[in-house]
Amino acid sequence: MRSLIRQRFHAPSRLHSGVVAGAARKRSNLSITASKRESLSEWYTQCLVKAEILDYTDISGCYILRPAGMAIWNQLQEYLRAQLHKRGVQDAYFPLLISQAALEREQAHLAGFSPEVAWVTKAGHADLSAPLAIRPTSETAMYPAYSRWIRSWRDLPLRLNQWCSVVRWEFRNPTPLIRSREFLWQEGHSAFATAQEADLEACDILCLYQRTYEQMLAVAVIPGVKSEGERFAGASTTLTVEAFIPEAGRAIQGATAHVLGQNFSRIFDIRFETADGGQDWAWQSSWGFTTRALGVALMQHGDDRGAVLAPPVAQTQVVIIPIGCTKHDPSQGPVEEGHDPARVGEAPSVAPGQIVAYSHDLAGRLRDAGIRCVVDASEQHSTGWKFNQWELRGVPLRIEVGPREISSGHLTTVRRLDGRRDRVHDQGGKLISKVREGLDHIHRDMLARSRDRLVAHQKKCSTWTELVDIVEGEGSMALIPWCEQMVCEMGVGDRGRTMLGEGGGKIKCLCIPLEGQEPLSPGTKCAVCGERPARRMALFGRSF
Amino acid sequence: MTSATSSNTDRATSKVAVTGSAMKETKLGIGAQKEDDFPTWYTQVLLRSEMMDYYDVSGCYILRPWCFKIWKQIQAFLGERFESIDVEDAYFPLFISQSALQKEKDHVEGFAPEVAWVTRSGGTDLPEPIAVRPTSETVMYPAYAKWIQSHRDLPLKMNQWCNVVRWEFKHPQPFLRSREFLWQEGHTCFNTKMEADQEVLQVLEFYRQTYEDLLAVPVIKGMKSENEKFAGALYTTTVEGFIPAVGRGIQGATSHCLGQNFSKMFKIAVEGKDGEPEYAWQNSWGFTTRSIGVMVMTHSDNNGLVLPPRVASVQVVIVPVGITAKTGAEEEERIYAKCNELVEQLAAAGIRTKADLRDNVTPGWKFNQWELKGVPVRLEIGPKELTSGQVRACIRFSSEKRQLSLEGINSAAKALLDEIHEGMFAKAKAARDASMRVVERWDDFTPALDAKCMVLAPWCQSGACEDAIKEKSAHKAVDGAAADARAPAMGAKTLCIPFEQPAKAEGKSCVQCGASAKTYCLFGRSY
Repeated sequence: MRSLIRQRFHAPSRLHSGVVAGAARKRSNLSITASKRESLSEWYTQCLVKAEILDYTDISGCYILRPAGMAIWNQLQEYLRAQLHKRGVQDAYFPLLISQAALEREQAHLAGFSPEVAWVTKAGHADLSAPLAIRPTSETAMYPAYSRWIRSWRDLPLRLNQWCSVVRWEFRNPTPLIRSREFLWQEGHSAFATAQEADLEACDILCLYQRTYEQMLAVAVIPGVKSEGERFAGASTTLTVEAFIPEAGRAIQGATAHVLGQNFSRIFDIRFETADGGQDWAWQSSWGFTTRALGVALMQHGDDRGAVLAPPVAQTQVVIIPIGCTKHDPSQGPVEEGHDPARVGEAPSVAPGQIVAYSHDLAGRLRDAGIRCVVDASEQHSTGWKFNQWELRGVPLRIEVGPREISSGHLTTVRRLDGRRDRVHDQGGKLISKVREGLDHIHRDMLARSRDRLVAHQKKCSTWTELVDIVEGEGSMALIPWCEQMVCEMGVGDRGRTMLGEGGGKIKCLCIPLEGQEPLSPGTKCAVCGERPARRMALFGRSF
Repeated sequence: MTSATSSNTDRATSKVAVTGSAMKETKLGIGAQKEDDFPTWYTQVLLRSEMMDYYDVSGCYILRPWCFKIWKQIQAFLGERFESIDVEDAYFPLFISQSALQKEKDHVEGFAPEVAWVTRSGGTDLPEPIAVRPTSETVMYPAYAKWIQSHRDLPLKMNQWCNVVRWEFKHPQPFLRSREFLWQEGHTCFNTKMEADQEVLQVLEFYRQTYEDLLAVPVIKGMKSENEKFAGALYTTTVEGFIPAVGRGIQGATSHCLGQNFSKMFKIAVEGKDGEPEYAWQNSWGFTTRSIGVMVMTHSDNNGLVLPPRVASVQVVIVPVGITAKTGAEEEERIYAKCNELVEQLAAAGIRTKADLRDNVTPGWKFNQWELKGVPVRLEIGPKELTSGQVRACIRFSSEKRQLSLEGINSAAKALLDEIHEGMFAKAKAARDASMRVVERWDDFTPALDAKCMVLAPWCQSGACEDAIKEKSAHKAVDGAAADARAPAMGAKTLCIPFEQPAKAEGKSCVQCGASAKTYCLFGRSY
């Protein structure tokens, strides 16, 4: 067996390159060795792998979503499902494979996606007579059917959604969850009789995405409109929510909703008879929310001790750790009663069995109240090891149950977010409501912190030189008056210096924020080109 | 437009599809008869009830909302049960590297002919082709090997809901044999064989419950023969369905014990007491959208789809009736208001209810449409019902009509839905049981198949005998392709060795070769 293990760890493997050392240390060294501030990407991958949220496979850019990660996605799905259902959106499923002919029908769309389409060309041992694309998005798979199904205004609106995986074979350096070659998402595709309905829906869905980030993941975002250069291939308007990662000095697109106008409906002939007997093409929108959101949240909240999960999405919201029930195992080094000096020297005057029984009873009560809760009463690890382990996994709240707690009836709770300790009296139903309140407060504090950081990293300026200083010097986003001209936008990439080191990335327009726009004073010039008159304030920065 | 991969047969059916939807406004009914032309009837039912639609890639289909809601009910039902045995959800990639796929020899041989390969991205050839998962053993187990280090890491129980691709070249059929389908696949590892054995049967029981208690489709639990077991498994258990209209068996879902076969290949092991590796005992099990096809074939009739109430996305449809030119505006309003009130009342009781208040079609047209879509119960409300305190209920599966009192309608409707479920199950089971024959002489074997029956016969369990039975029970004169679609003339396969045996096989001779029989085995022509 020894040799087997050695072989497993030392065999040259393309498996999780770069993280292999981390995985190999799984048993001996659990904690994260990289600093979030100093080497973000190393910290990020260690955090994901060691918190068992995700793992690597032998195909670059494809990752395993482990139960702790999948649980977050399932919570997001459940929330969005209920919200979409309420809006009358129905679920369906369209095929994974798209014929070349269908994919090529919309030229702008094709140009946007063709460099990263994965093609199936062989089945078994035979070549297919025509290659089939694996969906990068499903407009071209769905709209031929929409054309058949929609005949009259009575068939509208048609609003379908699907939960599936899509493939975009990018050649840029993949980053788990943030930029992977396969990812999970929902994609909604609607057709309406009027332009106004399509516009309203896109706005409504964008609000829903903003709420999902804020209420579920505790991540503050900026809603905005994408510039022409950043718009979805084939859309007339793309709306976006943008998050910001201060440690990277970069923004990240959170989710998008597109107004497609009649662009696709004309090409796919999605035509209907109007109420007055005329003919028109349907007005469409499409919108998607992806597993990238998990990456954004983890990168946003995590710290050098590991993941920090927002309570609404955490697989485990509360971990109960009975203190003083661990058998001393010399192979694990000296016994440490937690890294917390408050617990050192505590006299065990209560039987360990009683502590464990109490912990399980407490867990039962919390579960009955709908709080996702586990007890870690394992005997093979020290209490300190358990604290570290559950902190690494990002469980929002820890409840410590030791002799002192049992005899006093006051439990100790510790918040993952900031390590704050509280004493809670276990009396009647009070504990349940205290824990629930505690989780709500954690969420509120996480969101407030995220919002503060987002606001602090937006700075107004009016010249290109200032913009570069803000973005590249301070690692913030710059809010500037902008002309919104394509020719100006095309010039940005050439002008922006790229930073050395991690990632780099060019300066670009992140979005034109929907909120906080005020009329510009007459004669305001575009801060980018310095020539054309500015139209609105736009947010510029580097992006993932 | 049609990709050249489409087979001719599918393109022909695809034309039917287009004509079908073109007739949407004018003709709702099913043209073909279940008894006369089963395959055409089946696709018409699926298309016109808006369960699915064709697609320009042969063997791939669109699952429309009416169908997808059924799948979601199945997901919820099974999901709850998986959770009860501590199975966790995860997601593994769609793609499998060539080297991982080829690690288990029997497994790769079983799947190689139907694996779809990605060889190109954008305009660039990949350095090595990548397989689209036909099933995920080979993508999951390298990770399992990494994660499982000690006894404490076991059991490991994971499940994923996803799509898989199997590029079959046989005639595709919606739900039953499609090139892409949706499923759940569970993959578990244990310290001991006993734990694995127990779980195989536990999950098989969940699958039986899904068919019988949710879809009202009777199934037979049993063991697959050596020839029919999953590629790489130690043994395969199955729930088998049967479609009396065509006399064909159909595999419902399978639960496999993989033994230590994969764990040895992928080195999923923990350190034993003596320092030797102890390989994990593994299971894998899956339930697919095929179940929806079996449900449709079992219950539907010449008026269209018939949905079992527990999965129907609309369980009760309320149609206003008796409104004529003479009906006053106020009375009409009251009828509509009563319909809406009833919807709210039933919905509050957890009954999925919809009122069809469209003013551009007649009640008769609505009746036909909701029958076509298979809604279990229709309630009619007209001027009479406003005063009588009763509504007329029409039951889709039996065409029975009854009066229901509006007082206490919630519990009456709930009871009625349960009664419908039981009635549909009993009807399907009676038809299935009438098609099962115990046969002990070879001379009776093929005639029983020709009478659209399954055969329970004493069998020696040898692979060679199984092949001989298949060969001898086929009608060679009939052209293969036509046979597949119409009158089945293919040879009989072993469907399963039922756990519940009709009699002791001891002392009996094998129905075909005369050797000593080990058990009774269920044979049949099958999908």
